[in-house]
Amino acid sequence: MPETQVNSQRNVLEVGPQPTRLLPWFREFWAYREVLGILARKDFQTKYKRASFGIVWAVLLPMIQAAVFVVIFSRVGQFNHLSFNYSAYVLAGVLSWSYFGTSGLAASTAIVDGSSLTDKVWFPRSLLALVPALSNLFGLATSMVLLIVALPIVGAHVTWRLVFLPVAIVLLLLFTAGFGLVTSALHVYFRDVKFIVQAALLVWFYVTPIVYPAHALHTIGPYLDFNPMTGIINLFQFAAAGPFGPLMRPILVSIGVTVVMLVIGIEVTRRHDRLFVDKL
Amino acid sequence: MIASSWTSSDADAPALMTDTSKAIEIINVSKSYVKLNEQAMLLKSIMPFNRAEKEELKALQDISFSVEHGETLGILGRNGAGKSTLMRMLAGVSAPSEGLVRIVGRVAPLLSVGVGFHKEMSGRENVHVNGMLLGLTKKEINQRFDEIVAFSEVGEFIDTPVKFYSSGMYMRLGFAVAVHVEPQILLLDEVLAVGDVAFQLKCFDRMRELQHRGTTIVMVSHSMHAIRLMCPRVLLFRKGKLEFDGDAEEAISTHHQLLTLDAAEDHFGQARMPISVLSRRLQRDGVETAAASHDETLEAIWSIRFEEPISSPQAAFRILAEDGTLAYSIHTTIGDAWRDFDAGHETEVRVRFQPRFGGGGTFRLMLDITDITGVHVLGTDPEGPRVYVGPRPGTGGLGDALATIDIDDVHMTNHRSLAMDGRAADANGSGEARRPGS
Repeated sequence: MPETQVNSQRNVLEVGPQPTRLLPWFREFWAYREVLGILARKDFQTKYKRASFGIVWAVLLPMIQAAVFVVIFSRVGQFNHLSFNYSAYVLAGVLSWSYFGTSGLAASTAIVDGSSLTDKVWFPRSLLALVPALSNLFGLATSMVLLIVALPIVGAHVTWRLVFLPVAIVLLLLFTAGFGLVTSALHVYFRDVKFIVQAALLVWFYVTPIVYPAHALHTIGPYLDFNPMTGIINLFQFAAAGPFGPLMRPILVSIGVTVVMLVIGIEVTRRHDRLFVDKL
Repeated sequence: MIASSWTSSDADAPALMTDTSKAIEIINVSKSYVKLNEQAMLLKSIMPFNRAEKEELKALQDISFSVEHGETLGILGRNGAGKSTLMRMLAGVSAPSEGLVRIVGRVAPLLSVGVGFHKEMSGRENVHVNGMLLGLTKKEINQRFDEIVAFSEVGEFIDTPVKFYSSGMYMRLGFAVAVHVEPQILLLDEVLAVGDVAFQLKCFDRMRELQHRGTTIVMVSHSMHAIRLMCPRVLLFRKGKLEFDGDAEEAISTHHQLLTLDAAEDHFGQARMPISVLSRRLQRDGVETAAASHDETLEAIWSIRFEEPISSPQAAFRILAEDGTLAYSIHTTIGDAWRDFDAGHETEVRVRFQPRFGGGGTFRLMLDITDITGVHVLGTDPEGPRVYVGPRPGTGGLGDALATIDIDDVHMTNHRSLAMDGRAADANGSGEARRPGS
C-alpha cells in the first residue's frame, strides 16, 4: 500500500493508507515549529486575556493551594521536625505539580478541542498536544522565580542546589509532552479518556510525595519510587528544600517512563495523524 | 516558512519519480470509516472477541480522476455522496483507506463554514495563524494584511474575537485569507452560499482572477448557478461513487435526474402515504408536451387515489427552478371543509398555468396534497414533470416583469419576435438554451 510522503520543497504531497515514515515525519514536524510557537503563544494570551489579574492567576492558584497544605499538614502530619524545610518542600512540589496537572488535562483533550482548526488545514496533530505544555511554561517559570523569592521568607536557604531547577523543568516538560501525546491521541477514539485523566490526576496527586515526604508512609514509601512523577517532583523539592532522601531510583524511573511515553506518543500520532480527523 | 525550512536531501529522492504534470491525482481511492454501533467506549473496545460490533461505512469507493494545473473543477452530489470526504483528502488532512492522493502545489482549503479559526482569538490573530498554517511567512502575511482586511469587509471588527462574528463575517474573513495566500490549489466547499450578493460577486471576481492566473480550483457547491459560472468540468458523486465526469451542463442534468430518482427511491422506501400519486402528465391544448413558450397555457394533471378516507384535502402546487429555487407556488383554500372522499376513490388534480419566466429554463412541477390545515402532507409527487420554457428574447431572470425601456424618449425595448426557438429542446434539463449571466 502506498505510504504518505511529503516533499515540501517541490510542494508535492502524496497521501496513501500508510503513514509518513519516521524521519520525514520528524522533518515535517520541525518545519511546523513556528506554528507550534504561535499556537502556544495564542493559547497563553487567550487564557488570561479577559481576566483583569491575567497571568497572576496562573501563579496565585497553586500558591494558595500550597499555603493551605503547609498550614494544615504541618499540624496534622506533624512534619515540623524534619531535617529539611517542609514549607519549601510543599511549595516546590505543589507549584511543579500544578503545571503538570493543568497542562496534562488540557493536553488530553487538545486534539478534539482543536477540531475547528484541524479538520480543514493540515499540520501535524501532535502540535496541538504539545501546546498546553509550552503555553504553561511561562507560568511555571514565573512560579519558580516566586519560589526562589519565597525561600528566605519560609526560612529555607537559597543554595547551589537551585541549579537543578532548570533540569527538573526540562524533565517535567518532556514528561508532560509525552503524557499529552498519548492521552490526546487516545481521547480522539475514546472520549472517556478526559474523565479518566481527571480522576487519575486526583489520585495521582496524593500518591506522589508532594505534601508529605515519602518516608512518612513508612513501608509503602519506597513503592512511590515507581510513580514516574515522584522523581520529577522530588528533583524540584531537592533544589528548593535540600536533601530529604534517596533520589536516584525515582529519577531513573521518571526518565525511563518519559522516554517510553514519548516514543509511544510519537508513534501513535505519526500513525494516526491523518486518521484523527475521521473521528472528530 | 514551511517550504523554506526544508532542504533538498536524500529523503526527497523517492519523490523524484513523482509525476507532477497534474495538479491533483486521485488513484483508485477508497475511504471507509469503521463505525462502532454504539459510541466508542474504552472498556468495551479493549475487550477481546468484541470485534463483531464494528460496521464499515464506505464513504468513497475506488475513485480515480486527475485535475490539470489551472483547471477549475466542480463537484456535485447529494449530502453523503462523499464530497466532503474527498475534499478533506485534497486538503491533506485525511488519508485514504486504499489508493493514493497526490497533490502538487500549495493548497488553500476553505471547507464548510469555518476555515480553521480559533474562536477566542481576534480576527487579526486568526489571519496571522491561518496565513501561517496555509504556508505564508510572517512577512508575507504582513504585506497582505491590509488587503485581506479590506477584502473581508470586517473593518474595525478585525480586533474582536471571531466568536462574536456573524457567520457572514466569519466566512468573508476566511475566504479573504484563502484567496490572498495565492494558493496553487484552492478548495472551496459550499462557501459562496454565505454573504450578501455584493460579496458573492466580489468572490466570483476574485476567483476569476485566480483562474486567469492559473490557480487550480476545486469547488463543491449546491448552487448550479455558481457551478455553471465557474466550472467547465464537473464531477458527479453518488453514494461514494464517481457517477459522471465531464461537461458541466451534462453533469447538472444528470445530477437532477439522479435527484429525482433518489427522491422516488426514498419515497417508495417509506410507508405508504394516505394518498398515492398514480401518474402525472403535462399537456398543451390537450397534447402531451415537455416544452412551452412563456405565454402558452399548460395543464399539469395528476391522477391520485385515496388510500384512506380523507376529508377536505387541499393541494399545493410549486414550480421549482433548476437549482431548486422556488419560482412560483399557489395553494387551494386551506381551512375550507368541502367534501369527504372514501378510501379507494380515484380522481385527478388539474393545474392550469402559464410559465411566465422571462429567462426561461427547465422547471419542475411539484404537487403536494395535504389535509385541511395545509400542514400535513398526505400525498406528494416526488418526481414532478419537467418543462422546458424557452426564454423571451432580450429578457433574463426567473420572473417576467414586462418592462419597457425608453432612452431619450425613444422606445428601445427589444421587441423581437416572441417565437420560440428552443421548443424542440430536450425537456430533461440538458437542453437549456442560455446560461445565467451570459
